[in-house]
Amino acid sequence: MSQTISFDLLVIGSGPAGQKAAVEAARNGASVALIEKTRELGGACVQRGTIPSKTLRENALRVKNMRMNAQIANFKLAEDMELATLINRLSEVLEAHDNYMRKQLQRSGVELIHGRATFVNEREIQVENVSGTKQLYRSQHILIATGSHPRKPDDIPIDHEHLFDSDSILSMLYLPKSLTVLGGGVIASEYASIFQALGVKVTMIDKYPRPLGFLDDDLTDTFISGFHHMGGTWKGNTKITRCFWNGIDAVVTECDDGSVISSDKLLCAAGRVANVKELHIENAGLQLNQRGLISVDDQLQTDVAGIYAAGDVIGPPSLASASMEQGRRAACNALQIETGNMHNTIPAGIYSIPELSSVGLSETQAREKYGDIFVGTARFDEIARGQISGIQNGLLKIVCAKDGKTILGVMIVGEGATELIHIGQMALLNQCSVDFFVETIFNFPTLAEAYRAAALEIIHARKLRA
Amino acid sequence: MKNAEAAPLSGLEPLESAIDAQIRSNQIDVPMLPEVAGRVVRLTQDPKSDAMQLAKLIQSDQILAGHVMRVANSALYSPNATLISLQQAIARLGMKLISEIALAASINSSLFNAPGFESHIQYEIRYSLLAGLWAKEIARACRRNVEAAFLTGLLHDIGRPVATQTIISVAKDIKFTIDKRSLISLEDKYQRAIGVKVVEQWEMPQIVIEVVRHFDDYQNAGDAIKPTMIARAGAEFADHFMCEQGQEGCLTRDQLVVQPVLADLDLYQDEILEILEKEPAVQSAMEALQA
Ligand SMILES: Cc1cc2nc3c(=O)[nH]c(=O)nc-3n(C[C@H](O)[C@H](O)[C@H](O)COP(=O)(O)OP(=O)(O)OC[C@H]3O[C@@H](n4cnc5c(N)ncnc54)[C@H](O)[C@@H]3O)c2cc1C
Repeated sequence: MSQTISFDLLVIGSGPAGQKAAVEAARNGASVALIEKTRELGGACVQRGTIPSKTLRENALRVKNMRMNAQIANFKLAEDMELATLINRLSEVLEAHDNYMRKQLQRSGVELIHGRATFVNEREIQVENVSGTKQLYRSQHILIATGSHPRKPDDIPIDHEHLFDSDSILSMLYLPKSLTVLGGGVIASEYASIFQALGVKVTMIDKYPRPLGFLDDDLTDTFISGFHHMGGTWKGNTKITRCFWNGIDAVVTECDDGSVISSDKLLCAAGRVANVKELHIENAGLQLNQRGLISVDDQLQTDVAGIYAAGDVIGPPSLASASMEQGRRAACNALQIETGNMHNTIPAGIYSIPELSSVGLSETQAREKYGDIFVGTARFDEIARGQISGIQNGLLKIVCAKDGKTILGVMIVGEGATELIHIGQMALLNQCSVDFFVETIFNFPTLAEAYRAAALEIIHARKLRA
Repeated sequence: MKNAEAAPLSGLEPLESAIDAQIRSNQIDVPMLPEVAGRVVRLTQDPKSDAMQLAKLIQSDQILAGHVMRVANSALYSPNATLISLQQAIARLGMKLISEIALAASINSSLFNAPGFESHIQYEIRYSLLAGLWAKEIARACRRNVEAAFLTGLLHDIGRPVATQTIISVAKDIKFTIDKRSLISLEDKYQRAIGVKVVEQWEMPQIVIEVVRHFDDYQNAGDAIKPTMIARAGAEFADHFMCEQGQEGCLTRDQLVVQPVLADLDLYQDEILEILEKEPAVQSAMEALQA
C-alpha cells in the first residue's frame, strides 16, 4: 500500500447525498474525494431506483391512456413484451445523467475514486479497488452517504429469477402475466400500480389494513379504488406464512387467512436496510442504532466528531430529494460553511398510478396534535381540467389550524400530484393564510384550481363557525 | 465483422478467400436447430403456454424426450424418486429448467458435420454449456437478468462448431488439406460472424443475438452491455474450470479473479470468491445436463 493521501473531506457514496455534498464542499474551496464502489455514479436513485422506476412508469401511463382511448386507437400490448422495451429510453437517460454528474464533479475539482471504502479508524479510510489494490485516505471530515439496499426477510427465498427485490425487479426479461407484491410501502405501491397499469395481474399483500399507512384514509382509499379499477387486488391485514417457487411455473404465496396466491413472479418490497456491511463503522467507534441506521444530530454529525452521515443511511424520509439537501448541509456543517435554515417541511412524492403527494401534517396527525382543525377538500372530478383530461380519480386536501387560516398541511392524490404539491409547499413555508389561494388567480382550466376550491371550503366553514 | 476482415493467415489464403466468399454471399450452412428445440424455447417464452403443451412438444421428439427423462431422473434433480412420465418431470422440474435441458440436449455434436473433429466440437459444446451455467450464477450475484443468462452463455460461441464445419467443407471443396492448428486459427477468425448468422436463423430472442454479436467487444454492446458482460464472465469461469490446470494457456484461479470483465461488472474479489463457491452446484448441473 502506498502513502496515505489526505483531503479536507472524504465522501463515501455517490448517490444524491454524497454527490451534492462533494460538489458543495469543492465549490467552497475544499479538497474533496468522492469514493464510489460501483463504476456508475448516482447510487440507488439513478441506477436501480428512482429514475428506472419512473421511466417504466412513464410508459405504463402511456399504455394505460392508450387503453382508455381504445376508440381512438385500437391498442393492445403485445403479450410477450420484453421489459427492456418498456424502459426503452433508460440507457439514454442514465448515460446523460452520468455524463452530467461526471462533468459536474470534474468541473468542481472533486477527485473521484472507484473502490470500496472501509474505516480503518475515525480519520482513515481504506479503499479497495475492483482488482484488490488497496489505498489509505485520511481526513478530519468524513461523510457516510452509502445509502441503503432492499431488506431480505429470512423466509422469502429471493433468487432474482422468480422472486425479486426492488433492486432486481427491472431485470426481468418479459413482462409477467401476474405479479405478487409483498409490502404496502412506497416502493410496493409504486411498482404494484405501475405493473397493473401495464396489464399485469397484480396482487398486493401487506400485514397492515391499508397501503401507505402514513397518509390519510381518504387518500389511500382513492389509491386503492384506482388500483382495483385497473384490475389489481389489494389484500390488507394479511400475513405471509410461506412463499416459494414451485419449481414448475409459479411462485406460490400462502397467507395466514388460508388463501394461496399463484403468480408468475413476486416482488418483495419489505423496506430497506442501511448499506454499512463493508464500512466496518466499528473501527471508527460508531455503531448502528436500534433501527439499523446511523444516528445523527441536527448538524448531521454522528456520535463521532468529524464523521457525518446523510441520505438513506440515516433513515426516513429516505428520498432522493431530502438526501441531496442533507448531503449538502452535512458538507457545509463539516467545513463550517454558512447554510441557512433547513426546512423540515419536505414533500413526499409517491409515483404510483395515480400519484400521491403530501407536505406538512396529514389530517390524522393534525387532529392528534391540535384536536380541532379545519379541512377543505376538492375532488378532481369537480374541477374543469380534471373532467377535460379524464383525471377524475383525484383529490386535494388542505389541513388548516383552528383559526381556519394557518395552513398545516396539503395532501393530493391524482395525476400531477407530485408537481401540484409545490404550490402548497410554498404557501406553507411562507406561512401564507389559506385565503391566499382564493385571492390568487390561477390559470383556467388547471388542476391547481383545486387549491382554490379546497380553500373556499375552509373559509366557508370558518365563517359558519364564527 | 472485425475478425473476418483481419489480415489473411499465411498459407491459408485460398481457403480464406473461399470462406470469405461464402460468408459474404450468405451461403453458410447453418445447421437446423431441431425444430422441436426451437419450439421449446419459443413456447417457454410464451406467457400463454403451459406444462401440458411443453410435455406434448417434447414427446414429439423421442430422442429429446429420452434425454430429458434421463436428466430429470439424475441424482441432482430427483435424488429419491423415479420419474416415469414427461409431464411428471415437468411438474417436478419446471418448464424453464426442462427447456434449458431440452436446448442443451439439442445442441450436441450430431448437429454438426465435421468428420475428424468430433471431439473438438464436443469440447466446445461442453464449454458453452458450462459457460451458460456459470453465467446464471454471475447474473444472480449481480442482480441482473438471470433468465437470459443461460441462453446467452450457452449460445455465445455457437459460431465455432459451425465455423469448423464450414472450414472443413470448403477445404474439401477446394481440395485443401487442413491441420488442426490451422483449423483452429481460422475458426477463431470467422466464428463470430458465423455465430450471429446462426442465432439469427434460429430466431433466438434479440438479446441473445446482441450478446453473440458483441461478445468480443462488450464495451460497444450498447443496451446489451450488461448481458454481454455476464455471458463473457460466464465464459471466463468456464475457461477456468474446463482446462487442465498447469496446461499452457490455462486460466488459473488467480488469473480468473482479475479478469477485466469481472471488474467491469463491479465484482470485488470476495464477491468473486463467493461465486466460485457455487462450483459443486454448477458441476452437478453440468453432469446432470450431460447425463
Ligand atoms: C424503486 C425505488 C424508487 C424510488 N423512487 C424515489 C422517488 O421517486 N423520489 C425520491 O425522492 N426518492 C426515491 N427513491 C429513494 C431514493 O432513491 C433514495 O432515497 C436515494 O437514492 C438515497 O440516496 P443516498 O445518497 O443516501 O444513497 P444511494 O443513492 O443508495 O447511494 C449510495 C451509494 O453509496 C455506494 N456505496 C455503498 N457502500 C459503499 C462503500 N463501502 N464504499 C463506496 N461506496 C459505497 C453505493 O454503491 C451507492 O452508489 C426510490 C428508491 C427506490 C429503491
